[in-house]
Amino acid sequence: MNDLKLPAIDYAALAPMLILFGVACLGVLVEAAVPRARRGLVQVPLGLLGLVAALVFVIAEAGTRKRTAGEAIAIDGPALFLQGAIIVLGVVALLLIAERSLEPGGPFVAQPARPVGSEADRSQAAGEGGATEAYPLVMFALAGMLLFVAANDLLTMFVALEVFSLPLYLLCALARRRRLLSQEAALKYFLLGAYASAFFLFGIALIYGYAGAITFSRIHQAVTAGTGSGVLLFAGLALLAIGLLFKAAAAPFHVWTPDVYQGAPTPITSLMAACTKTAAFGALLRVLYVGFPGATWDFRPIIGVIAILTMLVGAVLAVTQTDMKRLLAYSSIANAGYLLVGVLAMTPEGVSSTLFYLVAYGFTVIAAFAVVTLVRDADGEATHLSRWAGLGRRSPLFAGVFTFLLLAFAGIPLTSGFTSKFAVFGAAFGGGQVWLVVAGVVTSMLLAFPYLRVVVMMWLSEPGESTPSVSVPGAFTSAALVIGVLVTLLLGVLPGPLLDLTTRAGDFVR
Amino acid sequence: MSLSAYVPIIALFALAAAFALFSVGVSQIVGPKRYNRAKLEAYECGIEPSPQPVGGGRFPIKFYLTAMLFIIFDIEIIFLYPWAVTFDALGLFGFVEMILFITTVFIAYAYVWRRGGLEWD
Amino acid sequence: MTAYLAQDPRLEDFGHDPWWLILIKIVVAFAFGMGLTVLGVWFERRVVARMAVRPGPNQVGPFGLLQTLIDGVKGMLKEDVLPRTADKVVFFFAPTVSAIMALTALSVIPFGPLVSIFGHRTALQVTDVPVAVLIVLACSSLGIYGIVLGGWASGSTYPLLGGLRSTAQMISYEVAMGLSIVAVFMTAGTMSTSGIVASQAGGSKFASIGGFDLYVPGWYGLLLIPSFLIFLVSAFGETNRAPFDLPEAESELVAGYMTEYSSIKFLLYMLSEYVAMVSMSSIMVTLFLGGWRAPWPITLWSGANSGWWPLLWFLGKVVLLLFVFVWVRATLPRLRYDQFMRLGWKVLLPLNLAWIVLLAGVKVFQGSELTSRNRWLIVAGVVVAALLVALLWPSRKAQPTPSLEEQVAARPAGSFPLPPMDLVVPPSPRARRAVAERQPANVGGTETSNDSDETRKEV
Repeated sequence: MNDLKLPAIDYAALAPMLILFGVACLGVLVEAAVPRARRGLVQVPLGLLGLVAALVFVIAEAGTRKRTAGEAIAIDGPALFLQGAIIVLGVVALLLIAERSLEPGGPFVAQPARPVGSEADRSQAAGEGGATEAYPLVMFALAGMLLFVAANDLLTMFVALEVFSLPLYLLCALARRRRLLSQEAALKYFLLGAYASAFFLFGIALIYGYAGAITFSRIHQAVTAGTGSGVLLFAGLALLAIGLLFKAAAAPFHVWTPDVYQGAPTPITSLMAACTKTAAFGALLRVLYVGFPGATWDFRPIIGVIAILTMLVGAVLAVTQTDMKRLLAYSSIANAGYLLVGVLAMTPEGVSSTLFYLVAYGFTVIAAFAVVTLVRDADGEATHLSRWAGLGRRSPLFAGVFTFLLLAFAGIPLTSGFTSKFAVFGAAFGGGQVWLVVAGVVTSMLLAFPYLRVVVMMWLSEPGESTPSVSVPGAFTSAALVIGVLVTLLLGVLPGPLLDLTTRAGDFVR
Repeated sequence: MSLSAYVPIIALFALAAAFALFSVGVSQIVGPKRYNRAKLEAYECGIEPSPQPVGGGRFPIKFYLTAMLFIIFDIEIIFLYPWAVTFDALGLFGFVEMILFITTVFIAYAYVWRRGGLEWD
Repeated sequence: MTAYLAQDPRLEDFGHDPWWLILIKIVVAFAFGMGLTVLGVWFERRVVARMAVRPGPNQVGPFGLLQTLIDGVKGMLKEDVLPRTADKVVFFFAPTVSAIMALTALSVIPFGPLVSIFGHRTALQVTDVPVAVLIVLACSSLGIYGIVLGGWASGSTYPLLGGLRSTAQMISYEVAMGLSIVAVFMTAGTMSTSGIVASQAGGSKFASIGGFDLYVPGWYGLLLIPSFLIFLVSAFGETNRAPFDLPEAESELVAGYMTEYSSIKFLLYMLSEYVAMVSMSSIMVTLFLGGWRAPWPITLWSGANSGWWPLLWFLGKVVLLLFVFVWVRATLPRLRYDQFMRLGWKVLLPLNLAWIVLLAGVKVFQGSELTSRNRWLIVAGVVVAALLVALLWPSRKAQPTPSLEEQVAARPAGSFPLPPMDLVVPPSPRARRAVAERQPANVGGTETSNDSDETRKEV
């Protein structure tokens, strides 16, 4: 008992996560102590301050390459870059979440436990202040994501996965309007997510059986040594990949995405589309690049097929969608496919291009969902595609902004969509994965069609009776929208600085 | 420490099970059986039993809440036990870690308390 | 803590018994549980009766000792009714679960030190394992299944509610109970029951009067008195004993989860309640009252803690605790359910956590080699933290009680009609007549108006 060895802990390196967890806990206390009417006023500055403080620590740690807390956590280039990206995207998403001027009471339901359609439910729909529990939940989710991308062993990764998943399940159920849809989405997400977590955990068990360890460096040693049963390795890796690809929304594990994106409150959808995707791909990068590079030849064909399937499913099904949020969901699935192309390059360029893509896509998608929150009628957001017809005449400014964002999704030059796609395809080409590049280019062209259809619809049809108005965004939404659009433009015109940063950050510590 | 020390526990369990099942079984044989339609209805409180909804019916959500709280605190206890047993070896480090852990659970507890999760009425 | 004495069993001493010894031990432990149960029921009835100035059962056998046995035989011979709505299999097996689990908990109770049985040196304890106390806790939680399944399988409303209630109650108090043991583990440094008994062996010299040394026993019941009190309270909650016998609150739920049970199955539930009481008393003696060790005056005799004598001390302590159970039942009325849950969750739980943290802090503080400056810093930090907690403690504003008119106005539409508030009930004519007959002296005098009040009181 006396030779108990305490792990050395580098608190500065862990500071971003500790700050966010602390802020989340404080947020819960605020929920408990502050009167209902004033909670939002406390929570929003608290959350933003926490995120900024965490970002400061991330920047201060730049250049650190170490493992700490008994090898459970790795702080290196990709981890810090991804943490920074998650924090910045989280700030922008938090702005959307904090918006209260679009809808009386904000985007969240006042009391989630109230039965839908009851007397109390009607009163909350009329503008009772929304549940401010959303803020601590978002902070928990973001803190979990920070840990997820920095986890250096599988168990820590699993804990982080749960920490950021559970708040998201809850957040999905909090929509103020269309509550049944929202609750259904949350339940689907929860059940499927629980399955994915179980797969992940089972994968950990098998990998532990194979390598006798759960840290990535030891797993890497075992894989390169080639000892042990291949069945355990491949089955374990496959199960791990299922867990991660589920969060990344890659086909055939994507089925939850459209429903959840549609049902969740739109600000939460933007958080999931930007931050969850970043976290999931960050973890996938670490697993594949640090833990299993020795098995590249074994997993690349399979994940390659998944990538192609993901791109195809996303592109083809996006064509058939009639709901704006579902369309963006399928677009997000297709983008997961492009990201996988970058990941599968298995070169340093693969890492840096994926990192770049994640940031570029995150800002664009948050801006796109910000526009979705603006197009509303008496029943809340008007997400049906037909309602968007003629929007260009109603509100040229927002239709123009949205057109720009759609063009960015489609990968038109001078937008971040082009540079990021160019980067991942280039990396994959350099990594010898021509087949993936070909599939990527073909599906990109396919995917341009639904985007252009929306553009045509917005500009070339006459506004009808049912065309909703575009609300004037409040300060928070305006800020989020401006940031998103500016970054999308900036990364399209001047991608150099960020590309340099990702190239420098692309080195994992093992 | 071998597992043989656990055998007597199982043995006592088996003995207790044998006793319980024996007594239940014997009463089936020695007890009288007089059929009476009314007797086989649920007794409830002596008057006409209330109709049973399909699937056992629904009961107040408070019970679920209590169950969840129980799980949270039971897990806290599970973490506290090993710490308590090796308390002397862990010393200050373990103490600080445990305070942090208890504090986090306590935050949730304060939240539940304030939101009326512990009220029964 | 003194060193292990020669007759103290250690963990390594267990697991080496031959099969016949195991068999003897489990039979004896089983007989201990059953015997104390049979006697316990009689004991309870007698004691409660005496407290209520009644004789209690005194017909069957000497002092009515055989009453319980006869009751058992009678129960066996009664018809076992299986309600039509019941889930047959679960209904059949549920009562056995509670009884089995309550009995199994006795397997790790230390009854005495190492003795010699047929030339075999062994401890007076069925077995001991490193997680012995956890086994007791596990048994007491598994016993809940018998109750909740029995209530559910009855296919009837009151049993279902009774079963749920008792589950909620037992798991609530299990939390309190589990937390209260943490302090014991912290002090003893082990979870094995024999180890805990051994660590309570030492006592500190309290005073010396005229050559006699007065010892304070090293019992955790004294050292860790908050833990002991919390454990005691939660033991009542855990065994469904008065004043916490809400699952079988006959004024609300008929007989709770046992409503639909008859014959031996009903008796099995009763049995398991008493066995649980016995095993709870035993574990309390083990954890807090020094186990089989003799209390101070007896320890003056050097042979008190060796050989077979400790069995007697142990039994004495258990019976004493059983008496406390009975005493409380005879004294205290039943709690209301919300009061009961509030006590568990809002009083015992935070108290417990605070006590654990305090104890741990004190222990760390004593054991550390700090400079005096650091010590003062820590003390100041603790004080500041305590002040902060006190400052931020969620306080509840007292709800203003609405006036009678507001309460009436707040009633939902369709409620029963209320009589007018200022209604004066006229005195019953019969009562008036009865009073009039008793007041012959006042005939002819004026009728006083406040007469009506008195008449109503008298009727």
